[in-house]
Amino acid sequence: MSNIESVTQAEVPTAAGVPVSPDGGSEKPRSLTGDAWEDLRRNWIFWAAAVLVLLVVVMAFFPGLFTSADPKACALSRQHQGPSGSAFFGYNFQGCDVYARTIYGARNSVLIGLFATIIAGVIGLLVGMAAGYFGGWVDSLLARGVDIVLGIPTLLAAIVLARRLSADPQDSGFWAVVFTLGVLTWTTGARIMRSSVISAKSQDYVAAARMLGAGSGRLMFRHILPNAAAPFVVVLTILLGVNISTEATLTFLGVGLKGDEISWGVDISTAAPYVRETATPLVWPSVFLAMTVLAFIMLGDAIRDAFDPRLR
Amino acid sequence: MRGQFPLKMAVGATAIMLLAAGCSGGGDETSAADAVISIGLGEPQHLIPSNTTESNGAEVLAALFTPLIDFDADNKPYTVAAESVESTDNKVWTIKLKDGYTFHNGEKVVADNYINAWNHAAYGPNGNGGSYFFERIEGYKDLQSKDPDGEEGPQKAPDPAAKTMTGLKKVDDLTFTVTLSEPFSGWRSVMGYTVFYPLPNAAFASEGVLKEDYEQAPIGNGPFKMKGTWQHDSKIETEAYADYAGEKPKVGGVTYKIYQEQTAQYADLMGGALDVVTQIPIENLASAPADLGDRFKTGPNSVFQFVGFPTFLPQYSKVEVRKAISMAINRKEITDNVFRGSQSPATSFVSPAVAGYRENSCGAPCTYDPAKAKADYEAAGGPKQIKITYNADGGHKAWVDATCNQLKTNLGVDCVGVGEPKFADLLTKVEKKEDVGMIRLGWIMDYPLMENYLGPLYGTGGSSNYYGYSNPEFDNLVKQGSAAPTEDEAIKLWQQAEDILARDMPVIPLRLGQNVYGHSERVKNVEVDKFQKVEILKIEATS
Repeated sequence: MSNIESVTQAEVPTAAGVPVSPDGGSEKPRSLTGDAWEDLRRNWIFWAAAVLVLLVVVMAFFPGLFTSADPKACALSRQHQGPSGSAFFGYNFQGCDVYARTIYGARNSVLIGLFATIIAGVIGLLVGMAAGYFGGWVDSLLARGVDIVLGIPTLLAAIVLARRLSADPQDSGFWAVVFTLGVLTWTTGARIMRSSVISAKSQDYVAAARMLGAGSGRLMFRHILPNAAAPFVVVLTILLGVNISTEATLTFLGVGLKGDEISWGVDISTAAPYVRETATPLVWPSVFLAMTVLAFIMLGDAIRDAFDPRLR
Repeated sequence: MRGQFPLKMAVGATAIMLLAAGCSGGGDETSAADAVISIGLGEPQHLIPSNTTESNGAEVLAALFTPLIDFDADNKPYTVAAESVESTDNKVWTIKLKDGYTFHNGEKVVADNYINAWNHAAYGPNGNGGSYFFERIEGYKDLQSKDPDGEEGPQKAPDPAAKTMTGLKKVDDLTFTVTLSEPFSGWRSVMGYTVFYPLPNAAFASEGVLKEDYEQAPIGNGPFKMKGTWQHDSKIETEAYADYAGEKPKVGGVTYKIYQEQTAQYADLMGGALDVVTQIPIENLASAPADLGDRFKTGPNSVFQFVGFPTFLPQYSKVEVRKAISMAINRKEITDNVFRGSQSPATSFVSPAVAGYRENSCGAPCTYDPAKAKADYEAAGGPKQIKITYNADGGHKAWVDATCNQLKTNLGVDCVGVGEPKFADLLTKVEKKEDVGMIRLGWIMDYPLMENYLGPLYGTGGSSNYYGYSNPEFDNLVKQGSAAPTEDEAIKLWQQAEDILARDMPVIPLRLGQNVYGHSERVKNVEVDKFQKVEILKIEATS
């Protein structure tokens, strides 16, 4: 419970100086965040998504809590054996425990999604903020830049870039995928940031701060950013889910993670050719992947709805 | 060692090559004899006979050319383009050509066509991948020259001393002699290989220099001729050559469709766009018998799969370590579970496709014994970490991973499989003496002699001896065997050489291949030979 609260607060920074009251006490004036929280509390989709996300995050960092089996202990003699008490999801082609591999696969998927989204977030934030705040030729230039990146087919560019970056077969491909996704997916965030900065910078408190002598940097990061960040964070939450699924796609296509790495994409890719023999090694990583992506997207959706005043 | 052989190893031995005999291109009204079938394969490296040592190119050239010698089901050589091949001392061979054969441009096939082609093939500066096949011919050395400061250096290699081999002599238009520098009883069989095809005068721009675009549309002496040119990464079309003097093909033409992936060929076979797949991919093995019914076929071939230990890696220098690793591999489990019985465990260093094969000549080191393996491995101080490098384009990941899992379990070591994109990348690393660990290799025979599984692979400086094994005793036995007057005596000596391999274990024999192929309902009499080539003269269309 408290965990989820902190997540929500962390993701929705509030304006400096504006008192935050998560409980939305009736005696105090309620902030935007407070309103949103009131909304979210009553939204079962939010809770379902939050629980799922929490579960996946715990799975990523403490896989040992869920399984005691070693995902790398494989024996051909167990090839494609069905589910049993020792292996809930049965065994795959190489005779590895599908359940253990699915649990351990969460780590790479979540971390790649997280790091890639951080990179995308930083780029999107800087570009969007600069474009929105300075306007004029800076805006034109950056907006055209966004258009150009947006015009590149993401998957195609990702295949080219990821293959280029992880040419060394010894390399796990982790950072190549992170970087590839990061530099290709920041555009939506940048556009959202730009528009919310534009609307925020014409507010009176910004003008007041400017008259008090605040410089551009201070204005941008202390006054405008906190009030323009909410939609941006929502976009990033959704992007996190999308990045996780794109990682699996890249890995499935053979340009993502490789070698010894365990991830849902790797397992889906290796199980796919044998689907006519036995489906479980393909189905379970796919289900986990789908649920994780769905959870992040639902979470983002719920937060967006809560913050959107038009839906009130 | 020399150029293109890696390709042969990569492609041939990995059994990438698939083939498909295709439909009659919409010509529903044509009779079966006019039908154009299509055969699928990977992109050939070259279509110049002397530069073709991989199986895709060899497949196409087999349709465009007629060899001097071919082999029956028992590997006994018989003459095709040659009237006779004779020798009294195994040193001087007299080859008489059959009259009546012509090249596709109408040129009569004469002795000079062979002599010119072979001199071109052997001439060092031409850089032909198959040139080492000619090194037994007298005068071969004079056609080579060594770069004084290596390939990277600024100086160029001087021109070789001669442009023609003294061992090749024309007797008359249809007769020539080949003098070998040392007697070799198996020479007749060697001449069945792709690199010994003749070249027409039209192939040469000037004496000894091939036309640059010759390989885009090779003119041969075979049952089929090119229709148009080689459409790279797409297809190669051929049609029956009307004036062919030999056994006529039973179809009107063959289109070779080029694929990047084995599974795509199988998908096309199922979808009706392809008729024959000569090597059904591992992934489809389980379902193929049901998919294809009696059109799913198996037959013997000559593929031998193994892993080598580069001699520059000190951790594998102890023979006990190598034997222990070999004993820790459960070959049967891999052939059954990964290859679904389409390959069989290898317990010797040669394939049963050749005379002289003995089952279990490797003995105890090739027998699965995890307890002894672990004890021996620890006693010999084997490395804690094992790496197996393979080429990722050949469908090797599944069995390398399985092998690694077995080594992990049975030896208590850490094992990882590293996939290099292409076989050539793997070889580059071996040449640079990088820590590649064990390397995956495979061999498909060039000619059906036991010697072909020994000399090139383990001889000092052998053309495919990538791991650098060298044992004078072994070299000597192989050489003596080659010089022996009869095949039986030769085999005895070669078997002694094989025994040395079992003692030294420079490589671990893993599996023996098998042709596993299938075809559509539009073709019949589909057979794949031990060289993994479709029997092009036997295949027929059903309607």
